[in-house]
Amino acid sequence: MSNKGARNLFIFGSLFFFVIFLAITFDTLGKLDKRAPEITKEVDEGKHVWHKYDCIGCHTIFGNGSYFAPDLTKMAINRPRSYLKRFLMDPKSVNANAAMPKFGISADEADRLIAFLEWTSKVDTNGWPPKPILAVAAGVSGPELSAGQKIYRSQGCSGCHMINGIGGTTGPELTHVGSRRDRNWLHEHFEDPSKVVANSAMPSFKHLGDQALNDLTDYMLTLR
Amino acid sequence: MTIKYESQRIAQHFYTFAVLLFLVQVVVGIIAAVQFIKPDVFILNFNIIRSLHINALVVWLLVGFMGATYYVVSEESEAELWSLPMAHFQFWATVVTVTFVVLGYIWMGINPQANSPVMGINPLNEGREYIEAPRWADILIVVSVLLFLLNCVMTVLKTKKWTGIQGVLLGGLVFLALMYIPGMFYTKSMVKDQFWWWWVVHLWVEGAWEIIAGALLAFMLMKTIGAKREVLEKWMYIEVGLVLFTGILGTGHHYYWIGTPRYWLWIGGIFSSLEPIPLLLMVWDAFRTTREARNVANRAGLFYTVAHAIFNFVGAGLWGIIHTLPQVNKWTHGTQITTAHGHLAFYGAYVLLVISMIYVTLPAIRGVKEYNTSRAYQAFWWMTISMVFIVLTITGAGMVQTYMERMMGLDYEAVKTTYNLWFWILRAIFGVGFLIGVGIFVVDFFKLGKEPAAAMSAAPEKA
Ligand code: HEC
Ligand code: HEC
Ligand code: HEM
Ligand code: HEM
Ligand SMILES: [Fe+2]
Repeated sequence: MSNKGARNLFIFGSLFFFVIFLAITFDTLGKLDKRAPEITKEVDEGKHVWHKYDCIGCHTIFGNGSYFAPDLTKMAINRPRSYLKRFLMDPKSVNANAAMPKFGISADEADRLIAFLEWTSKVDTNGWPPKPILAVAAGVSGPELSAGQKIYRSQGCSGCHMINGIGGTTGPELTHVGSRRDRNWLHEHFEDPSKVVANSAMPSFKHLGDQALNDLTDYMLTLR
Repeated sequence: MTIKYESQRIAQHFYTFAVLLFLVQVVVGIIAAVQFIKPDVFILNFNIIRSLHINALVVWLLVGFMGATYYVVSEESEAELWSLPMAHFQFWATVVTVTFVVLGYIWMGINPQANSPVMGINPLNEGREYIEAPRWADILIVVSVLLFLLNCVMTVLKTKKWTGIQGVLLGGLVFLALMYIPGMFYTKSMVKDQFWWWWVVHLWVEGAWEIIAGALLAFMLMKTIGAKREVLEKWMYIEVGLVLFTGILGTGHHYYWIGTPRYWLWIGGIFSSLEPIPLLLMVWDAFRTTREARNVANRAGLFYTVAHAIFNFVGAGLWGIIHTLPQVNKWTHGTQITTAHGHLAFYGAYVLLVISMIYVTLPAIRGVKEYNTSRAYQAFWWMTISMVFIVLTITGAGMVQTYMERMMGLDYEAVKTTYNLWFWILRAIFGVGFLIGVGIFVVDFFKLGKEPAAAMSAAPEKA
């Protein structure tokens, strides 16, 4: 091939691929809005707050950003609103060991951020983040679960609490909670955490009903 | 070796600023690494430190490219620069803008509320990775880059010597400038935000910048060993052609999980898997020309040039392809595997590229034929061995994270603070090794060609 031939191949070949790329981009842009919920004024304002505090400087969202803190794409599914609001405004008031700093986020700003995170949690991301396959596999063949254990799983308690190394770190570890707390305390705490622990950031589970709370309490008491 | 045109000296201004920013980048990198172990170890939070780290990196590489380009364009056109005063103005405008941006980040770090929007725009930090610089700075940077491009093009037009090398170099730079634009407007949708953001980030490092690398590689092989232009330019066209044929549609490897249609899994997977091919060609090109070389004019320059070609392939090509297929990326996306790849790719492809250009052109600018090369090699081994260990360490952390968090379902924070702790400690230690290498390089940069002849150790391998 002559130099001129190679040069022309480079120029026209590149243009060719760029045109294809533009065409697919055009198609994609037409499809994006259908794959996500509507963007309300509050969601847009939340995105502004997101940029203002440079959340991407520590977190990822849709898996892109920094790898210093957890991905926030689906965070609004895994945590109740009241808890998120408390955490955003003052992380250390929820968890004394929190590594996230207090930025001075106002109550208004926190509400908007949560609306923004609720929006991202509903975007169709082609199944990302994937369900942890090893955990799913263990659940299928694992031992029979007690009634309390089932509720513990279905209510997402492990998002905030750790038992035997599995679960979140924002709430206290529950591996030995049964030796710390008694039946009355636990039951009352489930009904209304802030009645027992001043300023508790844990959501109330009163709506589950007495039977479920008793089962949960039984389970907690086995953790010694 | 001396320069033929007085205005080529301007490159030295750019190199000096680049080298100083490199030092800053690595010092803050070490602070960031320590914050993984102790988050509140420094007055500025991790996000500010990280922004400084990656912005210093991108800016010093760009500034290095500019200096190198002024040198190359003047040399290839066989003419003085069109306007030296404008080049000086453009240099100082860049320095001042960058200084204000840095001060802005620090201010925001001390008082986050200082970034509250003014007329709907965040004045200190845009809150988007790599392009954190606020809108006013974007505009000043664009002006500076346009002045730079104008100066280069007018220089070429003075003698109309359109060599292949400078055509491709300037083409790459124009593409670079154009691809800054998709990052300059606000979109309400976070999906579209990231869609356009990747045009900037991906089409820079896997498009425009690789084109620049291809052109500079040809230039350096020509200067250090006198390889034949005809052959070099032909392979250069083939290399940069393949970079764009694979890299443009390869953008799809960032469109798997951000809310974009599923067909990107196919497009991104197929085309990005082919991206290492042109990088491998560049390695072959470097070895082929080096083997044919009769007399090496600048050994340290050639050494860095070949190392650049190799580590470009290893960091971008190999560490890229391991996580580029959607079946793998589904599990590794946004983990420390990405950090490992980001470091080795940037180091191999662009850090070594700019340092090579410095070693190839600086002796001529300083007007010396021989210089003490021992520090150049020492710096190389300190930096490269440390970087390889940083990357292996972080690849280990990424494998643990992928397995425990993504596959077993453990909590992100639990994996980070317990299982990966040792990896963070090792990274910080190797980071200090890297800093030592940078220190040696910086000293060498300032002393090269300025020492009295007696202080020069005759480099053993000199023929
Ligand atoms: C300086 C780094 C940093 C910045 C900036 C930051 N975060 Fe965090 N964030 C963290 C860390 C670290 C965690 C993990 C929990 C912990 O240790 O605090 C976290 C946890 C969270 C959580 C989850 C808490 C839980 O229950 O697990 C949410 C939600 C969150 N951050 C939202 C945000 C938002 C929104 C912003 C921007 C306003 C932001 N973060 C900015 C570091 C940061
Ligand atoms: C959104 C996060 C969150 C969720 C979800 C959550 N908790 Fe909590 N939990 C906390 C926080 C924060 C505390 C510490 C404050 C307190 O004691 O009320 C806590 C405290 C506790 C305590 C007291 C531990 C002690 O030793 O003081 C128990 C027991 C408990 N949680 C059980 C549960 C169970 C069971 C569930 C699921 C039904 C659950 N939690 C869901 C955040 C959460
Ligand atoms: C010199 C060229 C390259 C450089 C400088 C580079 C740099 C980077 C950086 C910094 C990131 C992280 C971006 C972020 O912060 O979110 C990244 C991501 C990525 N790169 Fe590269 N890269 C290069 C070439 C390549 C090549 C050739 C491939 C594929 C073969 C590749 C595959 C990927 C993939 C798949 C990701 C996404 C990782 C994830 O999902 O988290 N890169 N690259
Ligand atoms: C020339 C050398 C270096 C280059 C080119 C470089 C490049 C980068 C890039 C591109 C990023 C952001 C993207 C990513 O996380 O993938 C980054 C982040 C980071 N760098 Fe570096 N870096 C260098 C040296 C160092 C050193 C010496 C250290 C300290 C040991 C360091 C520590 C970090 C840390 C802690 C982060 C944040 C990573 C995260 O979010 O998980 N870097 N660097
Ligand atoms: Fe890419």
